Amino acid sequence: MSDPVTLTTDHPVQAAATPPARGRSRRLSDRWLTVAFISPALLLLLAMSVFPLLWALYLSFTDYSATRGGSANFVWFENYTAILTSAQVHMRALTTLIYVVGAVALQIVLGFSIAYLISRRTNGRGLLTTLFLVPMMLSPVVVGLFWKFMLDAQFGVINSLLGSLGVGPVEWLTRQNTALISLIVVDTWQWTPFIMLIALAGLTAVPKYLYEAASIDRASEWFRFRTITLPLVWPLLLIAVLFRAIEAFRLFDLVYILTSGGPGVSTETLSFHVYKVAFLGFNTGTASAYGILMVLIVIVLAQLYMRYLNKLKED
Amino acid sequence: MRYPKRIGRLSVAAMLLATAVACGGGADEGATSAPKAPADIPELTKDPLTLSFIWFDWPPAHALEAFANAEYTKGRSNVTIKVNTVPNANWHDAMFTQFAAHKTDFDIPILDSQHIGEAVTNGNILDLTDFVKKNIDVNAYNPYLLAAYGQYPQAETGKRDENASLYGLPLLGDTWTMIYRKDLIGDNPPKTWDEMISVAQKCQTDNPGVSGLAFHQANGSDAAAVTYNTVNGIYGGNLWDPKARKINGIMNDAAGQEAMDVLVNKMKPLTAPGSGNWFIDEVNAAVAQGKACIAFNWIAASGGLLDPKQSTLGTTREEILGKLGFATLPSQKTDLVPLGGMGMHVSAYSSPEKQAEALNFMKWFEQADVQKKWAAAGGVPSRTDALQSPEFLNAGPFNKVYTDSVSRMRDMWNVPEYARLVDIENTNVNAALNGAKPPKQALDDIAKEQQAVLDAGSGKGGGGL
Repeated sequence: MSDPVTLTTDHPVQAAATPPARGRSRRLSDRWLTVAFISPALLLLLAMSVFPLLWALYLSFTDYSATRGGSANFVWFENYTAILTSAQVHMRALTTLIYVVGAVALQIVLGFSIAYLISRRTNGRGLLTTLFLVPMMLSPVVVGLFWKFMLDAQFGVINSLLGSLGVGPVEWLTRQNTALISLIVVDTWQWTPFIMLIALAGLTAVPKYLYEAASIDRASEWFRFRTITLPLVWPLLLIAVLFRAIEAFRLFDLVYILTSGGPGVSTETLSFHVYKVAFLGFNTGTASAYGILMVLIVIVLAQLYMRYLNKLKED
Repeated sequence: MRYPKRIGRLSVAAMLLATAVACGGGADEGATSAPKAPADIPELTKDPLTLSFIWFDWPPAHALEAFANAEYTKGRSNVTIKVNTVPNANWHDAMFTQFAAHKTDFDIPILDSQHIGEAVTNGNILDLTDFVKKNIDVNAYNPYLLAAYGQYPQAETGKRDENASLYGLPLLGDTWTMIYRKDLIGDNPPKTWDEMISVAQKCQTDNPGVSGLAFHQANGSDAAAVTYNTVNGIYGGNLWDPKARKINGIMNDAAGQEAMDVLVNKMKPLTAPGSGNWFIDEVNAAVAQGKACIAFNWIAASGGLLDPKQSTLGTTREEILGKLGFATLPSQKTDLVPLGGMGMHVSAYSSPEKQAEALNFMKWFEQADVQKKWAAAGGVPSRTDALQSPEFLNAGPFNKVYTDSVSRMRDMWNVPEYARLVDIENTNVNAALNGAKPPKQALDDIAKEQQAVLDAGSGKGGGGL
């Protein structure tokens, strides 16, 4: 029998005092720990998001009404057919399209311009950026309410201002040709800062040496903007367009507060129409199908857009 | 790794199973008819209890809470009354989304008279017929008022079907009053609708900056619809044939078209630019700021006009009253006026203790002396004795207008499809008033679309579009 081997260590005393770590219970394997940590979030997601979506999908094939109760009879694709062939829906889709294109285009032009101007400043850039971000931090309902007061034809500050310049009162919210423009202007006021922020991030990331090289080549300001700034910031702007377009597509709050969809139904967007179908007539089946179709449209368009972005990146 | 995949599959399977179970159990739970309230009030609790109402946010709601907490609690000291309010535009949704969930945070919903059909057919409110027979003196009311705030199927205008069921009792009576500037058009209000228009026209011409008329035109709630319905009634039109459930061809008949023409081509030009989204508050603001010669508004919302703090017409109530007059609506081919106001009902989903308390409150509220106190507190009662009492007639200069208007009232439809019918009418009348649609087309669209709503059977897809 040999003598026990003496352990040599730099800290023999400490090593002797610390007991060896206990082996982890077999139940607490890495896999189980992973499951344990992910489960709460996963369950929440399933309960709050996936389940309602599946439930809405089921209801979209029925004639169910939340208030009338009774059995949910399957009507299969009748809700979808009715929505896709409805002149009322086509009208709201056109309104939504005009709104999305108008608002997002205006926001891109203004947001990028402001970001470009701010990026060229060296002093006070942080303060300016913060000030420009304020509208984005407000609730759309609050924004809608104070713009409603400002745009009021009789008592609003905008018409008062125009009056002092000799311009007659404009019916901002009650005329067909101005109501949608007013919505676009208010949305632009609130969300231009978002585009500005993303554009500013892109502009800051453009390497300085490219501009220096262009300067050495005596390139004009416009040439530098066209060949260096815009191509490098463009992909980021396109991502911002995607976010804003999705947001604008589901516009509800500003319409609800500012125009209630009027005059008549001329500013009713798809989301506002879904709300009426769901909560005025409580046609839950139709409203579910309407909602599902809107989600599908957003997913399909977003996918096509992402493919375009990827192609742009590869090129 | 196989495990996450398995977890993912299990999760999806669980969700599908849950959906399937929910589909089997949730959607087909139906309530089809209103449960009955007992004829006798059950024993009341002695424990602290909060009796909750739901209404929209306007002065009578606050007056009711103050009045009930001051008076009802004298006999029921363990009870607190809470009147929850929501914006007018959300009123219907706030009540019916809770009804849809079969769980309400209110015990007494204050329904517009036209909401009754929807609530009754869905089984959301109690059938009070037996309770009313045992506890309420029905002869104390104008029969139509009792019917309008509680009866379903709807009563014929001016009448009550004594065999029909009652689901509510009057809480607040109301109708439109004509508010006119005595200092601008004289002490005598116009007697006919045509005369009213010509007086407003002259007043507008003579007083630059003051518009001839102010009335509800908004496309939210029932604003523009009530305005059209009022003119429609005055010019001899009808909204529908209830027995045949026919709207198309009736609403847009010659009388209906004349009413739309009067509204859009004769009245609208006398309103202020940009007034196409005005409702109660905006009309009151125009009157209080001296910007309208003649205005139309609900009586229950007119109290603020006499508050010097809110008016530029005078520094005292008397001074304001020297300039403002209140009159019943002018007549033309008929003398019909719109029925406003609301009834109180009992939620079918409240606890038995709260339902018992609600019934007790209703019985208390409909007593003669309480109705007079309610009148003195700013409410508009429905009992005939209260309507003719000095407490009511002296409480406001517009109260006599209500008393004089009771026999002239006409309501809209109170069918379950009401919310959709009124939205169709609101949006189309609003479109016509704001130049977004020719008046005739707007009227034809109303008739056609409303008829389609009434004709739509169940079991078809695409309902509600």
